[in-house]
Amino acid sequence: MSDTFRNRLMVGVALALAAIYLFPLYWMYITALKTGSAMFATPPKFLPSEPQWSIYSYVWESRNMGRYLWNSLVIALGAVSLITVLGVGCAYVLARYRNVWVDVGLFLILMLQVLPASLMVTPIFVGFSQFGLLDMPRLAVILAIAAKSMPFFVVLVRATFMSVPMELEEAALVDGNSRIGAFFNIVLPLARNGILVSAILIFMQAFGEFVYSKSLIQAVELQPASVGLNSFMGPNTNEWNNIMAYATIYVTPILAAFVLLQRRIVSGLTSGALK
Amino acid sequence: MAAGIHRRTALLHPLSFLPREAISGFGRDRPRRQGIVMKRLLSSVTDGSGFDIGLVLLPLAFLFVLSGLPLVYNVVMSFQEVDMFSLGSFWRPFVGFKNYVDLFSQPETRTILLNTALFVSASIAGQFLIGFGLALFFWMNFPGASWLRGLFLVSWVMPGLVVGAIWNWILSGDFGVLNFFLREMGVIEGNIFWRSDPHYSLWAVIIANIWLGTSFNMILLSVGLSGIPKDLYEAAELDGANSLQRFFTITLPMMRSTIGAIIALGLIFTLQQFDLFAGITSGGPNNASNVTQYWAWDLSFRQYDFAKGATISVIMIVFVMLASVVYVRSTRHEVRG
Repeated sequence: MSDTFRNRLMVGVALALAAIYLFPLYWMYITALKTGSAMFATPPKFLPSEPQWSIYSYVWESRNMGRYLWNSLVIALGAVSLITVLGVGCAYVLARYRNVWVDVGLFLILMLQVLPASLMVTPIFVGFSQFGLLDMPRLAVILAIAAKSMPFFVVLVRATFMSVPMELEEAALVDGNSRIGAFFNIVLPLARNGILVSAILIFMQAFGEFVYSKSLIQAVELQPASVGLNSFMGPNTNEWNNIMAYATIYVTPILAAFVLLQRRIVSGLTSGALK
Repeated sequence: MAAGIHRRTALLHPLSFLPREAISGFGRDRPRRQGIVMKRLLSSVTDGSGFDIGLVLLPLAFLFVLSGLPLVYNVVMSFQEVDMFSLGSFWRPFVGFKNYVDLFSQPETRTILLNTALFVSASIAGQFLIGFGLALFFWMNFPGASWLRGLFLVSWVMPGLVVGAIWNWILSGDFGVLNFFLREMGVIEGNIFWRSDPHYSLWAVIIANIWLGTSFNMILLSVGLSGIPKDLYEAAELDGANSLQRFFTITLPMMRSTIGAIIALGLIFTLQQFDLFAGITSGGPNNASNVTQYWAWDLSFRQYDFAKGATISVIMIVFVMLASVVYVRSTRHEVRG
């Protein structure tokens, strides 16, 4: 068996595995393009005979998706900014020193990372309502997501800072930089890529967040797209093509960003998750 | 000369309570400033230990207020009577262990706890086995392997509710495509009503959750596999070990700590899974697919029984924290490439 043949065979098997695994995604895209009757045909069609491209603008208008996606964007951007501002410095210090206090801090952060949102939402809801934070529901959700996701961000960014050579910072200090100067001029630019990738991962999570938004935001006009999708799916719905069109509009930007940045995201994720 | 400065600054260093290597490794090679107290305080923030302490304390304070305090508040509420009327007041009647006793005397509690155990163990087993198989396959070198492997991770970056919606449609009884495939392969005769049949509804969520988590397991296992030195295999091959023997004598033992970490992470992630329940079965029919993390939310936000919701949360959070101690222990003191 020659090497090229073996390689072709392996790529073929790998493509087949990927196709099986990604079939649900394909099914979402295809269902969205089907007519009401083609959707319920037996046996199901795996290529739509008459694709309904107008469904996207119809769903966008009728479900008010612009407003939902705008709210998702506001929440995700707010959470990412807050997490980045607070988390980068924390990760930097935890990466620079090795002692008992750092171990304790790291342990606490890892413990906070694992708290399930659906269990934390009860005390957060009651507490926020007592302090009047629920009058600004999107801010409330941003704060809740920031508290939930910051530990993960710190763990990922800490791994990035660990890979920045300490000698460069020492050299900057010898050259007369202050700590702040060395941090902003030397360390941050070197860690920029890792921070960016971690921020993108957090953004993706926050963009699809559901539990906090569902529980803390009562007003429909402030709800994000995940809650909008949930209210679209009634118990006995049969509008599956519309729902899948909604899902398509919602996830395609995320998927596109992921496929473009795949290599960086995967390496950023794996360097942090197991260290 | 340089060493002399090193020792002197290390002695005077404001972080001298830190181990020596932490300080000397950090290279405080600048002459210390002399000056009045205020100036020193200011310069400490821009240029000394105040800089580090400030960077750490601010986020820790934030986390304390928004995660630590809710945790404590959760425990407090589980010993109180909380209803819609006392929701806004800070002083509510304490009822001792009444919430806990009530909870365990409810008939559905047993079902839901058993469901949670089944959901967690079946999900972890499925995600891990499929993920390990895929990781082993993509470990063999061929062009495009790492790119294709990374593509699997799309299941993990998608919003959970979207995954729920897609699987809800795939698993639908009369027109679901999964039933079609199973019928064609001759596995089933009639349609399975995944979402409304109490025998299958929990499995509907488990299937979706296995799909969601497999890719993450696979990526982490791939990292572990790539850390095994190749010469071990070459040596074993020279000794005449076949591939099955190599797997059991080299791969599995070398992967032990990775596997421990991944199973603990799987436990943590499965206990966080909420969106799929909201997107597929809503815990129904009649609690047949309900699990604790969905039930806690349901009690608080559907039945407005915040005290009971808090009580379950406390029990489950204790459980999750035990799992995370295992995770933290298995990832520490590890050297990975």
